[in-house]
Amino acid sequence: MKGLFPAILVLNLACFPSIPAHASDAVEVPAGPFVMGDDADPDAAPRRELTLERFYIDSDETSNAEFAARFPRHAYPAGLDFHPATGMTWDEAREYCEQTGKRLPTEAEWEKAARGTDGGIYPWGNQAPKNPPHPYFSGLVTRRVGFQKYDVSPYGARGMAGSVWEWTADANRDGKKIARGGLWNLHLDYEHARAFEKIFAVPDRRFPFMGFRCARSD
Amino acid sequence: MRPFGLIRRRDFLARLISAVGALAVGWFKSPVRAWAGAGDFSGADFVGKTRAGRYEKFYVNYWRSLRRIRAETWALDVGGLCEAPRRFGLEELKALPAVTQTSRLKCVECWSAKAEWRGFRVPELEKLVRPLPSAVGVVFHCGDDYVEYLDRESLNNGRALLAYAMDGEPLTHEHGFPLRAVVPFKYGYKNPKAILRMEYVTEPLPGTWSKIGPYSVDGTILPGWDHPLDRGKVRRRIHGGEILD
Repeated sequence: MKGLFPAILVLNLACFPSIPAHASDAVEVPAGPFVMGDDADPDAAPRRELTLERFYIDSDETSNAEFAARFPRHAYPAGLDFHPATGMTWDEAREYCEQTGKRLPTEAEWEKAARGTDGGIYPWGNQAPKNPPHPYFSGLVTRRVGFQKYDVSPYGARGMAGSVWEWTADANRDGKKIARGGLWNLHLDYEHARAFEKIFAVPDRRFPFMGFRCARSD
Repeated sequence: MRPFGLIRRRDFLARLISAVGALAVGWFKSPVRAWAGAGDFSGADFVGKTRAGRYEKFYVNYWRSLRRIRAETWALDVGGLCEAPRRFGLEELKALPAVTQTSRLKCVECWSAKAEWRGFRVPELEKLVRPLPSAVGVVFHCGDDYVEYLDRESLNNGRALLAYAMDGEPLTHEHGFPLRAVVPFKYGYKNPKAILRMEYVTEPLPGTWSKIGPYSVDGTILPGWDHPLDRGKVRRRIHGGEILD
C-alpha cells in the first residue's frame, strides 16, 4: 500500500498535463508572410498573402478566474474558473488586455496564429474532425482552457476553431467588431469555424458565446 | 442446412438489433414523443402547432393545444416578488405607451420568420408592479401549460416587447393571442405565447423545454445557420444575437 500513492501520483502527472495557471502563457508567432482569407467565403475573400512582424498571442482564451480578478462583477457558474470567460463587451476585453500590458490581436494576427503560414483550413490541418465538437444541446458548452487535444495551431495556440468566439481589435464598415474562431450552430448540431471565418458583433453587447485572448508585440 | 441456419441466425440477430435499437430510440426520443402526443385536442375551438395555410410563412409551435382564449374573460396576473402585484385587462395593457418594431424570430429548429410587432416594453409594466430588488427574472405561465423563464436584464434591454399585435392586426390565436413575448435575440422557445401570468422570481429556472429537452436555459441565438421562411428557406450564416435583416 505504501507504494500505491507515489504510483498514483506518477500516473496522474503522466495522464494530465500541467494546467496553465493563466492564459498569459503566450506563444510566439515569427515575422513573415502567411496566407490570409478564402475566395469561397465572401466575408473572407480574397485569399491573399500578407506579411506581419513578430508578435505573441495567448496560448488560450482568457479564463473566468483571470477575468474576474480584474473585473470582480464578472459572474460565472461555480466550477468554471478555468473555462473561457464570456459575456464581456468589446471595451472590457480591450481594457483587460491593456491592464495586463497587452492588446487585442488584430484580425490578421489572429488568423496567422490559428492557421500558420500555408493557409490551412483549420488550426490542425485541412480535415474536419470526425467527431462533433459539441454535445447535442442548443446552448454553448465551453471547454476548460488548455485541454484541447486536436484544436492546436502550428504555433501551439489552443481552442481557435471551437469553444467560444473571440473579439479582435478590428471592425467592419458598419462599426461592428470582428470576432473569430468559435462554433457554428445548426439546430442541435455544431461545426468548427474555419480559420478564415468571422462573425460581426455589436461591441457594446454582451454575448454568452463571446470571449477573447490577448496579444502583444516586441 | 448450414446456409439456411446461417440466414436464420442472421435474421435473428437483425431482429434483435432492430428491437434493441427501437427501444433505445424510444428511450432517447421520449421528450419528443411526449410533445407529439400532447397536442391531441383538435377542432375549431382549439389551436396548436401548425404550418398550414398562412402559417407556412410563419410556423407556429405550441407545447399543447389550447382552447381559444376569449378576450373578455382573459386577464394578465403579474405577481411574485413585486411590491404591487395586480391583474390587468387587455385594454389596460393597450393603454400603456405602445411601440412598434420589426423583428425576426428564430426557432432553434433552424427556420426564422419576420413580422412587425406592436406592444409595450416591460419597464412600463414594471413601473406599475414595482419588482423587488431580489427579483432577477420572470417566469411566464402560458395558456398551453408552457412555462418559460426570462431574466430581467433581457426583458429590460430595449428590444424585448410584450406584443398584442402582429403585422397591423391583433395577434391570432396561433401566434399567441392576446399577449406574447417578443425577445428577438433569443430562440423562439424563449418567446412565450398566450401568456396568462408573470411571476417575478429570485433565481433562473429552466422552462418547459429546458427541463426535458436539450435546450439551454439562456437561449441566446448562437452564430450558425438560418433558413428564413420569407426567403425560400435559403440557408445563410447568422452571427449570433438578434438577426437584424
